[in-house]
Amino acid sequence: MSESGINRRDFLKVLGLGGSSLALTGCGNTDIRSGDELVMPNVHPEDFVVPGLSVFYASTCTQCGSACGVMGRVREGRVLKMEGNPESKISGGKICGLGQAAVQVQYNPDRLTQPMMKVGGSLQPVSWDKAMALLEEKTGPKSGINGEEFAFMTGAMSGHLKVLVENYLESLGSKNHYVYEALSPAVSFAAYKQVYGVDMPRLHFDKAKLIVSFGSDFLGTGASPVHFAAEYAKFRKAPRGTLIQIEPKMTMTGANADRWIPIIPGTEGVFALGVANQLLKHEEFAQSVPSDIVTLVAKYDPETVSSITGVRSELVGHVAALLWEKSPSLVISGASVEGHTHGVQNAVAIQLLNKILGNVGKTLDGQAQSPFPQIAPNAGSFAALKSVNDGMGSGKFKAVFIYGANPVFTAPSFMGLRDNLRKVPFKVAFVNAVDETAEECDLVLPIYTAVEDFGSHVAWYQPEGVEITMQQPLMEKLYSDTRSMGDIMLELVKQRRADEYKAWPDFLSYLKTAVVNIKSAVKYTDTDEHFWYDTLSHGVIHVDAPQQQIGSNFSSAMLNLPATADPQDPKFPFYLVPSERHYFRDGRHANCGWLQESPDPLTTIVWDSWAEIHPKTAESMGIKEGDYLEVSSQNGTLKVKAYLFPGIHPDAISIPLGQGHESLGRFAKGVGVNPFKILNPVFEVNTGELAMYGTRVSVKKTGESEIVVKDEGPVSTQMGRKLVVTLPADVAQLSKEI
Amino acid sequence: MIHRLLAVLSLAFFVGSAVSAEPFVQGGPIGSQTPDGYNALGPVVQQPIEFPHYRHARDMGINCMYCHTGARRGYVSVIPRIDKCIGCHQNIESVRNKPRIKKLFEYWDKKEPIPWKKVNDLPDYVRFNHERHIQRFYFRQNRPVREVCGYCHGDVANMTVDRRVKALSMGWCISCHQKDHKESDTNMKTSHGPGECWQCHK
Repeated sequence: MSESGINRRDFLKVLGLGGSSLALTGCGNTDIRSGDELVMPNVHPEDFVVPGLSVFYASTCTQCGSACGVMGRVREGRVLKMEGNPESKISGGKICGLGQAAVQVQYNPDRLTQPMMKVGGSLQPVSWDKAMALLEEKTGPKSGINGEEFAFMTGAMSGHLKVLVENYLESLGSKNHYVYEALSPAVSFAAYKQVYGVDMPRLHFDKAKLIVSFGSDFLGTGASPVHFAAEYAKFRKAPRGTLIQIEPKMTMTGANADRWIPIIPGTEGVFALGVANQLLKHEEFAQSVPSDIVTLVAKYDPETVSSITGVRSELVGHVAALLWEKSPSLVISGASVEGHTHGVQNAVAIQLLNKILGNVGKTLDGQAQSPFPQIAPNAGSFAALKSVNDGMGSGKFKAVFIYGANPVFTAPSFMGLRDNLRKVPFKVAFVNAVDETAEECDLVLPIYTAVEDFGSHVAWYQPEGVEITMQQPLMEKLYSDTRSMGDIMLELVKQRRADEYKAWPDFLSYLKTAVVNIKSAVKYTDTDEHFWYDTLSHGVIHVDAPQQQIGSNFSSAMLNLPATADPQDPKFPFYLVPSERHYFRDGRHANCGWLQESPDPLTTIVWDSWAEIHPKTAESMGIKEGDYLEVSSQNGTLKVKAYLFPGIHPDAISIPLGQGHESLGRFAKGVGVNPFKILNPVFEVNTGELAMYGTRVSVKKTGESEIVVKDEGPVSTQMGRKLVVTLPADVAQLSKEI
Repeated sequence: MIHRLLAVLSLAFFVGSAVSAEPFVQGGPIGSQTPDGYNALGPVVQQPIEFPHYRHARDMGINCMYCHTGARRGYVSVIPRIDKCIGCHQNIESVRNKPRIKKLFEYWDKKEPIPWKKVNDLPDYVRFNHERHIQRFYFRQNRPVREVCGYCHGDVANMTVDRRVKALSMGWCISCHQKDHKESDTNMKTSHGPGECWQCHK
């Protein structure tokens, strides 16, 4: 111990005292701030606005064509979250990820906030006055344009906006309404129409014990994924239904199947006839179809079917046995069946199974007949695109309007659509973000997003009765210089029909008048005003309507399937499967970061495109994951990374649709590749639709390689250990289980 | 010698704390220090208008929740909408031309929100729900409003603009939740507040 001064004990005492005083006056909790951030009060808000508390408004989701009823959670005048509307029979109170992303469409950093006009080769912002003046000059009553010279290309539409568009065309004396959907249901509708007399029957998953799906990705894409997912859940409840999926590349629904059967693309119809061949051997089914069909089906014995489809012959009998045993069943088909030269025949052959099994009227019957045909949905087709493309190419059109479609992105390059579009003297796009088509236009008008606008919608698939879903703004327009499409159309119609429409200053009043007319059909006895507000608050109008009767009209002439699979072209040996992803569909929402970030359910790949290739095929070609491949058709080449995936036919290669944008925004531009571009001019013979699954490609290694960004980590996570023992499908004797 | 050192340091501590603490603009007790040693006293915050709480809450006896309407029904207690101020002041001729009120009406005429600085600013990872606390202490236990609001916010009724006078840290919040008090005739111990992290960290 030191004599002179401080000893350790005292030193520590001093330190302690000093230390605690420091704590008491010094460091502070820096997370709790005071005077840093601003807190802005409202000035003069509505009475019900309480900062911090959310209100919910009902509306319709327009992210795909299902027209699910949704609710938006709104706080302080901003929509923050989408949820399902329990009153909607279509959504059942649920919502999918694509619907959730509607919030990102609203707050899209690349939103178009001002009208743009092409000046000196580039789009420049202009005022609405100038924009509308140009519209009037080129297409107004004094422009001298006649109906033949005008074309309006839209996506599939329904509800009262569709009525206005059609009325506008009528006021011009034009019949040129081209309804275009890149992923069109036209083949499916044609097949259903042929055999049942309706475009789309109602499917009862919950009544079926067995579903055999030929490529129908009902959980992911297709008519109404939210609704069908709920129906599927009922189907899987005890006693648990069985799902068999037969397709060239595994879809999300296929991943849920109890038995997944890969098949050569285009031969699904032949497989179906093979199953029919086996079923007709049962006495109770022998009388279910006309004799000409029995004769035709007799040719499709298992060996023949196996040689055409590439599926083992015993599986034909196995599927037939399951269908015979598990009744009632339901047999459905999807895009991979329809996208061939004989797509309609494929689909008809598959529906034949429903006929034989007696499913028609049980698990498959008619939807309700809509009492309001004017607002019923129209359907898009490729044929429409072809017509408008031909018209543009021939110089027929002086003016073209485009709304709800992006043909420059989705049209295959063999069409030369971009060049043809450039020939049109005056082109107008109505968008909320500049896409490839808008880039080519002379005038681009910024419209409201779905959460800012009023509207009404009727979906193609109606689970019960007819549901008219209402759309109302979930918030005030985010950008002051945008306008409602309905308001623009109303103004345009008034150019020629001022008297007829003078009662309605805006689309809201027009919609309100029209909707109030439905009051009596739903036996609502209170006032018109109350009906309008009740409708908006519930979000849906349910109209009871009589069920459509479906016929059952099969003949052998409809089943004219090719005797063999398409011959192998040695230059283009692979079948291209351009797959539809649930969140991307035709690529219109590729600029949503949430959707890019959402891993693909089968491959878990994000923010990119890929080419799925079977591991055995890859091995034989020396391809490993991440190798850049050149996938070439006769009409173009794509450079895309390989992903080895056992869920694909060894002779097929699959590239997802929806990526490969050159515009649309920062999260879409330059991401991935666009398989739409390399599709060959192969057409379905009955409808003229583009046979999207009918393109053959060659695959070449480029020698370059890059890591594939995906969530799943290394595919062979077992790394040589036998943690989970697997057997190849042909060894595992799957038929003993399912 | 060491004892002299200790004495000097002790003196320095007491003197130092007096010197280093910022003086109050208006009265009000300094809140308790937290068990974890955090400083309770916030800085003096300059606001666009030096709103006198003492005139409204003390002299006029206006209930806190007349203006801070959200406290009883939501997460945030709400900075009052400007038409709340105007509602009374458009009828009070006697003070209409006072400088602060003229400034208020300037904002109102331009329909521009007053850019108040946030004084009780919890971090973004905390979600404090006023409603539960107000419902318990003010509506169920019928305590006087200045006591209820003042427990966390201090004696605002004697201040001009608000100043944070309690730590508002997690330890400080927990220190109240951990107090045992009578719940009912048979229950003398409380549940000590939310037992789950996510109740506040949502």
